Parts: sequence; C-alpha cells; structure tokens
Amino acid sequence: MKKKGLGHFLALAAVCGVLLAGCGNSEHVISGETQEGGAAESASDQGSAPQEAENTDSAGGYVFVYGDVTISMDEDASPITEALGEPVSYYEAASCAFEGLDKIYTYSGFELQTYPTDGKDFVSLVVLKDDSVATPEGVALGDTKAKVEEKYGTDYQEDGALLAYEKGGMKLCFILDGDQVISIEYRSGVLEGGDA
Amino acid sequence: MKKRKRLKIAGTVLAVAVSLILLQELLMPKYIYDITEGAMIREYYGEAKDHDVVFIGDCEVYENFSPAVLWQEYGINSYIRGSAQQLIWQSYYLLEDTLRYETPKVVVFNVLALQYDRPQSEAYNRMTLEGMRWSASKVKSILASMTEEESFLDYVFPLLRYHSRWSELKAEDFRGMFRRERVTHNGYYMRVDVRPAENVPEGRILADYRFGDNAWAYLDRIADLCQEKGILLVLVKAPSLYPYWYPQWEEQVEAYALERGLPYLNFLELTEETGLDFSQDTYDAGLHLNLSGAEKITRYLGAYLREDIGLADRRGEKALADLWRDKLAAYEQDRDAQYEKYGMTPPDR
Repeated sequence: MKKKGLGHFLALAAVCGVLLAGCGNSEHVISGETQEGGAAESASDQGSAPQEAENTDSAGGYVFVYGDVTISMDEDASPITEALGEPVSYYEAASCAFEGLDKIYTYSGFELQTYPTDGKDFVSLVVLKDDSVATPEGVALGDTKAKVEEKYGTDYQEDGALLAYEKGGMKLCFILDGDQVISIEYRSGVLEGGDA
Repeated sequence: MKKRKRLKIAGTVLAVAVSLILLQELLMPKYIYDITEGAMIREYYGEAKDHDVVFIGDCEVYENFSPAVLWQEYGINSYIRGSAQQLIWQSYYLLEDTLRYETPKVVVFNVLALQYDRPQSEAYNRMTLEGMRWSASKVKSILASMTEEESFLDYVFPLLRYHSRWSELKAEDFRGMFRRERVTHNGYYMRVDVRPAENVPEGRILADYRFGDNAWAYLDRIADLCQEKGILLVLVKAPSLYPYWYPQWEEQVEAYALERGLPYLNFLELTEETGLDFSQDTYDAGLHLNLSGAEKITRYLGAYLREDIGLADRRGEKALADLWRDKLAAYEQDRDAQYEKYGMTPPDR
C-alpha cells in the first residue's frame, strides 16, 4: 500500500517536473511592434512573461548609406547614431506597457527609428524624407516606378501603391503616387507585426 | 477494496489537479509592480456593477480619462475597461463580457484601434485576454486575437506558457496568488509627472489610409450591440499627439459617425476648449496625458455627458456615494504619493 501511495506522489512529481522543466528551452519570445505609447516603467523583472520585440537578423538586406555611415536594419543603433552626429530633432516614444523607448532621430533628408531589446537599441526603420538623399542603388523621391524597376528589378510584392522588395528579413518599400515615388522606407522585420 | 482503490485514484487525480492549479497561479505573471497594464482587465470583476458609462479601448482611454472626476464633479459613475494595445475585436468582446454583468447608459470607444486590422502581438494579447473571466466572449476574443505563433491551449492552460518562470519567481508571485493589489482607479492609470511634448514627429506617408475591413466590421458590431441594448455609443479620439492621427483617418471616422448617427469627440481638436497644455499635461511627451491633463479632458467629457446626453447626477445615492468616498480617498492617496515620489508640488485645487 505504501508503495502505491509513493507511486502516486512520484507520478504527481513527474507531471510537475515535466511541466516545469521539460519545455524549458522552448519559451518563445514574441516579436512585434513597440511604437504605440504606454505607461509602465519596467518589464525587466517580469520573468519569462511574453516580451516585446526581439531583434531579428537582417544581415544581407538592403542598406541605406549616408556619407560614410552604412545603416542596416536590426543593427546596433548606438555606433550608427554616434557616427551620424547630432540629429536635427529627436523624439522618444514609450512602448505601450513594455520597457524601453522607441527612438526617432531626424537627420537632414532622412529619419532613423530604433527599437529596444535587452537594454540596447536596434535600427527598425529608415525613412527618406526628401530628394537630398537617395538609396545606394540610385533611387530618390520623385523618381518613377520604371526607375525603381530598373534599379531593383521586378521581383517585388505590390499592394496598391506599395512596392516592397524583401531581402534578408527586411523590406525596402516604395510608395507611389501615380507613377512617382513619394516615400522610401527601409523596414525591419520587427515592424511586420504592425506599427503605428 | 475496489471502492478504496477508486477513492485513492480520485484522491490522486484531485491532488494533481489542485497542485497544477496552484502551480499555474504561482507561475502566471501578476502584473502588480511591473507592467501593471496586465492587471487592469481582471480588476473590473471585483467592482459593484452599476456604471452609467463604460469606456473600452487602448491606452488612450485608461491613461486619459479619470472616472474619479466624472463622479466628483458630475455624479457620473463610470469604469474604464482599457488595456494596452486593446484591439478592436478585443474591445467588442470586452463589451459583450461587460453586458453579462450590467448595461451602462453610455459606452465610450476610442477610435485609434481602427488602425489595426489583424492580430499584432502575443504580449499585448495576453494583457487583455488573461484577465477576462471565462465565457464565450473570452473564447471568441482569443480566437480572433491569436497570432500565428500562438496556441489556444496556452490560454486555457497558461501553465504551458509560463512554466519556465519558476526560476524567476519573486515574493509578489506568492503574495499575488490569492490577493492582488489594485493598480487602477476604476480602470484609470494615474501618472502625475511631466515630460513636455517636443519634436513630436509627423506621421509617415502610408500606402493606404483606409481602415481595414475587419476593423470596420467590429466597429459595426460594437455599434449594433449598443443599439440593440439601448446604449449610446460615443466615439472619441483622445488628444494623444503620437502615434500620429492622420486627417484621412479623421475623415473616415467622421463619415462613419455621421452615417450611424453617433456622437464623435476628437479631443485633438478641442485643446482650446479643454485647456490642454502639452508643456504641462503629459508625462511622456505627448503620447498620454498625466493627471492634470486627464482631469481637464474628463471635465469636458463630464459636461458633455451631463448637458448634451442628459446623464443624471447620482451623488445623492447613499450607497454609491459611500463607495466613491473610499475610491476618492485611494485616488487622492495615490496622487499625493506620486507628487512626493516625483518631488513635485501639487497644483492648487
């Protein structure tokens, strides 16, 4: 009898043990947008509760080059912003409920946004704001769709006015008004969960 | 002998079930001191449910409107069923859930959520969904909200999702198993500190400014449900400066409100009337209002609800007045503690 009782308790312990440790390494961290504002001050102590954006690797994706500075998506933003110098303006947006700030740096001709992960900031977005800058392949605001296709080819996803070239986990997006490019964005994969 | 054996098996099964339930309670995040937004939805169930006004929506409701002011100055009993990045289908199912307990006279919905047409993030989903009591509405909300990576079973048995928190447990996890401290004032998240709004970026150019079909469908469902229950639905856009509220979005909401005959208050266009000052009335550079800002726009809303909608002043109802006496004391205590924490001098009242 005692052996049976012990058996039951061992079974209980085994079930708990499996639940506690069996899948210990499979905890998935959810990526998603962090741009909508929020309140809480810290999530760092929340243990393994679902967390916000995990940085993704966009190695091999399209890059934006400004002077000597090459900007890749999901790259550590600190050396980039240091090399770019003082921005024209700067804005911080708290993530809705989660730790850290999305940071928006405006430079002459373009805007750079970052997202926080594990105490560091990574590049999430570069937006070309005027035709004083262009992509390294030579497309600027005001160019035509034909020029975009000439420089980047026709292997793009088209959704209404949007042409998106996907490469290395990031997207290079052109928005057209008629035949004319009115917006150029380099977008990290972390924004694919939706952004503000 | 057989009976004894059956009893033993039943006892073991019961012990396993109770152990797992306790384990689950222990391991689930409590959202008491960190990411308090995760505790908001649950708090509603402990309330006396006799509200004149219920707010539903994202951070733009729970950080920008103060039920305490609606009561103190207008005698309107209200509650905010808000949560971080509350998606519009979550708002709809929270409304359904609320109607299981009470039928308010007015529902206020913040329209920023129309920007999202599909599931976004597990982390935010859980902050809204885990706090809901089980019902058909919760099941439907989970199914509508899950991202591709999520599993329904993880919501039914959160232990499956949180099992690895065992190595990070803190004292609050043990204390919070049976008793949770309140994190809001009738759903309002209070902040008194100030960070002026400067260099707020304009919105990026979008390829398509139209709200998605799914978002519209749920707004229709919210409007239909309110109509069916005789509730006045009031659409609002909180005065948050970021994320950017596009003129094209405004046009669509105005057209919808007109078509459905719904009141719509865009507080971005009412800064003069409300007296909002973004150098003083926000704690995070224009994303959300601080206490000073929230009280200002709530006064405007209170006057609107009283004068235009005709909601009655209930301050003469003794039971309700007694309830609010305690609530206001907690509100003032929190306010004063925050002024002290931030080294601020409370403004003259």
